[in-house]
Amino acid sequence: MKVSLNLIRKYVDLPEDLTDEQIAYDMTLRTVEVEKVENTAQKFHDIVVGKILEIKEHPNADKLRICMVDVGEAEPIQIVCGGSNLYVGEYVVVSKIGAEVVWHGQGEPVKIAKTKMRGEISYGMICASSEVYLSDFFPNEGESEIVDLKGFDCKPGDSVADLFGMNDTVLEIDNKSLSNRPDLWGHYGIARELSAIYDAPLKELPQYDIPKVPAYNVEIKDTTKCNRYIAVEIDGIDVRKSPIWMQSVLSKTGQRPINAIVDITNYVMYAVGQPLHAFDKTHVSGEKIIVRNAKENEELLLLDNNSIKLTPDDLVICDESDAMGLAGIRGGKKDSILPDTKGIVLEVANFSADAIRKTGKRFAEKTDAAIRYEKGIDTQRVKEGADLALRLIKEIFPDSKIIKYTDVYPNETKKNKIKVSEEFLDTRLGKKISQEKIEQILTALGYEISLNNGVYDVVVPTWRSTGDVTIKDDVMGDIARILSFDSFEAKPITITFEHSIKQNDVLLERRIKEYLAERCGFYEIYTYPWIEEKYIYAAGINMDKSLKLATPPAPDLAYLRSSLIPGMLEAISKNLRYYDTFRLFDYEEVFEKGDYRPSSEDEILPIQKNYLTGCIVGKEAKEIFYEAKGVIENMARYCHMEDIKLEKIERPNWADIHAYLNITKNNEIIGSLGLVSVKVMTDSKIKRTNVAMFEINADKLIPYASRTNTYERLPELPLVEKDLSIIVDEEVTWKAIEESIESKVKEIEFVDEYRGNQIPDGKKSITLKVRILNEGTTMTSEQINEKMNSILKVLDKKCGAKLREE
Amino acid sequence: MKEKLEEIKVKGLKKIENAKTIAELEEVRKELTGKKSELSGILKSMKSFSPEEKKTIGMQTTEIKKSFENKLQLKEEEIIASMSVLEEPIDLTLPGKKVNGGALHPITQMKYDLNDAFLSLGFEVYNEDDISSEKYAFDNLNFAKNHPARQSMDTYWLEGTEDKEGAERLCLRPHLTGGSVRYLLKHGAPARFVYPGEVYRNETTDARHERAFFQYEALIVDKDISFSSGMVMIQTILEKVFGRKIKTRMREGFFPFTEPGYEIDMECLVCGGKGCKVCNHNGWIEVMPGGVIHPNVLKSAGLDPEEWTGFYINIGLDRLVMMRYGVDDVRLFHSGDLRFLKQFK
Repeated sequence: MKVSLNLIRKYVDLPEDLTDEQIAYDMTLRTVEVEKVENTAQKFHDIVVGKILEIKEHPNADKLRICMVDVGEAEPIQIVCGGSNLYVGEYVVVSKIGAEVVWHGQGEPVKIAKTKMRGEISYGMICASSEVYLSDFFPNEGESEIVDLKGFDCKPGDSVADLFGMNDTVLEIDNKSLSNRPDLWGHYGIARELSAIYDAPLKELPQYDIPKVPAYNVEIKDTTKCNRYIAVEIDGIDVRKSPIWMQSVLSKTGQRPINAIVDITNYVMYAVGQPLHAFDKTHVSGEKIIVRNAKENEELLLLDNNSIKLTPDDLVICDESDAMGLAGIRGGKKDSILPDTKGIVLEVANFSADAIRKTGKRFAEKTDAAIRYEKGIDTQRVKEGADLALRLIKEIFPDSKIIKYTDVYPNETKKNKIKVSEEFLDTRLGKKISQEKIEQILTALGYEISLNNGVYDVVVPTWRSTGDVTIKDDVMGDIARILSFDSFEAKPITITFEHSIKQNDVLLERRIKEYLAERCGFYEIYTYPWIEEKYIYAAGINMDKSLKLATPPAPDLAYLRSSLIPGMLEAISKNLRYYDTFRLFDYEEVFEKGDYRPSSEDEILPIQKNYLTGCIVGKEAKEIFYEAKGVIENMARYCHMEDIKLEKIERPNWADIHAYLNITKNNEIIGSLGLVSVKVMTDSKIKRTNVAMFEINADKLIPYASRTNTYERLPELPLVEKDLSIIVDEEVTWKAIEESIESKVKEIEFVDEYRGNQIPDGKKSITLKVRILNEGTTMTSEQINEKMNSILKVLDKKCGAKLREE
Repeated sequence: MKEKLEEIKVKGLKKIENAKTIAELEEVRKELTGKKSELSGILKSMKSFSPEEKKTIGMQTTEIKKSFENKLQLKEEEIIASMSVLEEPIDLTLPGKKVNGGALHPITQMKYDLNDAFLSLGFEVYNEDDISSEKYAFDNLNFAKNHPARQSMDTYWLEGTEDKEGAERLCLRPHLTGGSVRYLLKHGAPARFVYPGEVYRNETTDARHERAFFQYEALIVDKDISFSSGMVMIQTILEKVFGRKIKTRMREGFFPFTEPGYEIDMECLVCGGKGCKVCNHNGWIEVMPGGVIHPNVLKSAGLDPEEWTGFYINIGLDRLVMMRYGVDDVRLFHSGDLRFLKQFK
């Protein structure tokens, strides 16, 4: 919404020493955020009224004329102009050197300079309306016509900004931030706020004495949807233009002026927030207005001859034969004001917010009227709107006459009554505010207030009683904001120490993430919960249990992830454009159909689990597999959580046929680790590289309450360390080797695996390191040899291992 | 003999002096002080000398030996001091070996920074699930029945539930606030906790708008506390995040779940409050909505609003991270793009 400070000043005397920016700032802090402050006069600098004294042909151009123009200076100036409607004595808009105009109404403003046009010097420009921001005022200007100020009360040199009421400041407010304040949808409501902020008196709205006239026939069939309806029949109307001051207000607040009647209805809406509607009286057949619900399949004919289908939920304004308009939302063809309009029926009505909202939802574009009704307007404002409109009609059409008048008023907005104790205000506000100050603020906002035994009896004004202010907290909020939240001394928060905060699951998540990022070289990514279908298919995910969005961001993004693998595949394929080796991890929730009641029995949510997935991307499949395996094997120790195991049980769909392991905990599979299969990589466009991936249900990981391992005494005697290279059959696993000699050694460590020249086919060489120790004594070389021999014997017996000859 | 010894001494000392390496020095040491050295030879041949001669020669050889040993010691120290572990000097301008670390996502980093700050103020961390219901996302929070945010133009409803109501109508949570009631139902009051997370809105994306973004919300519920305490909390948090005091202002704001509600703006760090493109030329950046918890929300959480009160603050994590690093496109946070992520160590 755009707010003209000139119009505001009609309703409240703002302190004179305030800058417009200060007003905007004060309003921002206390009422509603002002997004922009625009000085509307600024763009009119050096644009003045000129009078054409003389017109000469241009020697070198057919369409150009050379004009001598009086711009209120000592000497007239020469301007070259191509306007088609130039005449001597014409009052025109002149942009002098230095002015900024929009050439032909298009593009960014350009600064006027002294120029030569086909050999003739021009000291300015005689402008068309679109060039000097005046097209709202001259909608019918033809091509190459310039503004003709005939009929304006002006003289050469007058400021054009003044002439069109543009010496003003316009505050721009985001409509969204006004949605809870139906009273602020007109200038008068904003003025009331400023009167409270600055303790400046608010002027009363003018009333209008309705002459004694017969009643207009109005019938409200659904009084739950229409709370009040004033109909006024007025004669002596035509489609003359509204006065410039009114056009100016409309132009500044973003509404194109049309004709006086339409302008008045718009002006009143912007002034007091009450929508109005004018019907050509001859279009209302039967001289009767009926407010009723539409019939099934009833249609409303629009101005453009299209029609819209109505439903019985829609409230329509009708005459005796058919629908003329959709109540509170838009008019139809039948209600339009036409060039031959001589008399009108003016509608000032109140419709219930719910009804308007319900119908309005079906139309993409919200009308100004609908926006206001939706918020809930008090019924009292109907009369304020009518009075102001009638006064303006009389002013603009002095010969107009009210023929009939009706005020049908089935439901009145009742003032809410609230009790607010001083004690409540003192504690919640955190400081004592004097009774005088409280009364001053609330009275300025329209509340009636009295203090009885420490309790304020507060009567809420009607314009805040349509849902806005209902409880004492709302009243407290009004006091706090007018005082300004910023004015309250910030009170320290006390901490009572009851117990230390130790949330092991929260800490574990952090330890895991830090382990991966800081120790293992992974980068953390976040992915969207909706997953592109091709990656779900690529990962071979079963979608039976997957959830879908009703209105997804895109048609192929409807599924919510049940695994983090597809999102990871997408991230890998995108990053491969720039990197060939990298590590990523993602720790987020995944979803599947199910029965999960986290908070109350009535709410059954899908199953939601925290998953952790990670990948290592690199050329050497075997290498990255063992790297990934190492990441999982070491996780429990570094992250201080209960042990997890790796076992080969069942292949996840994404994994290679050979290289996969399941991650288990207490014999339950909680995740998998493996190389990504050729098929999955092909389907997800991952080329010329390999990927080792793991995925774990992180909810199954159990943190230790603290660091738990016990210290081991340092050995008194040094361990004897020996490397062994053995040759075994391909089928012999490291696990078998390890288990065979476990009891004979203190420590055993894998060093290397080798296949090659000296190793026969079907065999492999394994190098391992063992550390041995004799309890109590230092080992002699004989003892060492004896032990190593016995180790080799066992290896031979259990694994068929032979010592590799050097 | 005396002259001979004197000559041995002079020659010997010279040899020591000329040694270049420890190995050479060891050679010289052997030659001068070993069993086969000239001095040893002289001492062995002393039997034939008179006692008088034995005494003087003995003294002289001992003295020479000592001076050899001193000199050898000095020379060894000298050589060691001038030795390098390298055979050749190296190119000191070659880059060092890369530290192979990854990194937490900048959003996570900010989240942990905030967690640390809030933990020091005695807050717990609570995680609500991503999928919630209309009851918890809207009804409990005092959203009007016809509030536009309930429409599918704003909220991502799950297919098959979109036409249902309340606890049966499920959505990707549009904000974190629903989690506050879940926590309070479970733990009661007094309470102080933070609940970070990702939220989802059905909107058109651009450099400043996302469909999935991150928030960080905190709530205190207690008896007799004033909303102005919220200001202290916010200043503490901002100071922690940016490492210095940040100017803030608190202004009127409206949210269904607060009364009164407020918006907290911080000075624009890009222009220092002078006004620039980032802050829409007004010098302030909206970072945290907040407000006093609405009595109806307390009721949803089973708490008596006459007894309890409290206040929320909600931090737009994306916005804060963008401010911290000058990131100009919010969509990068979900891009998974390493060119972006590698910048945040």
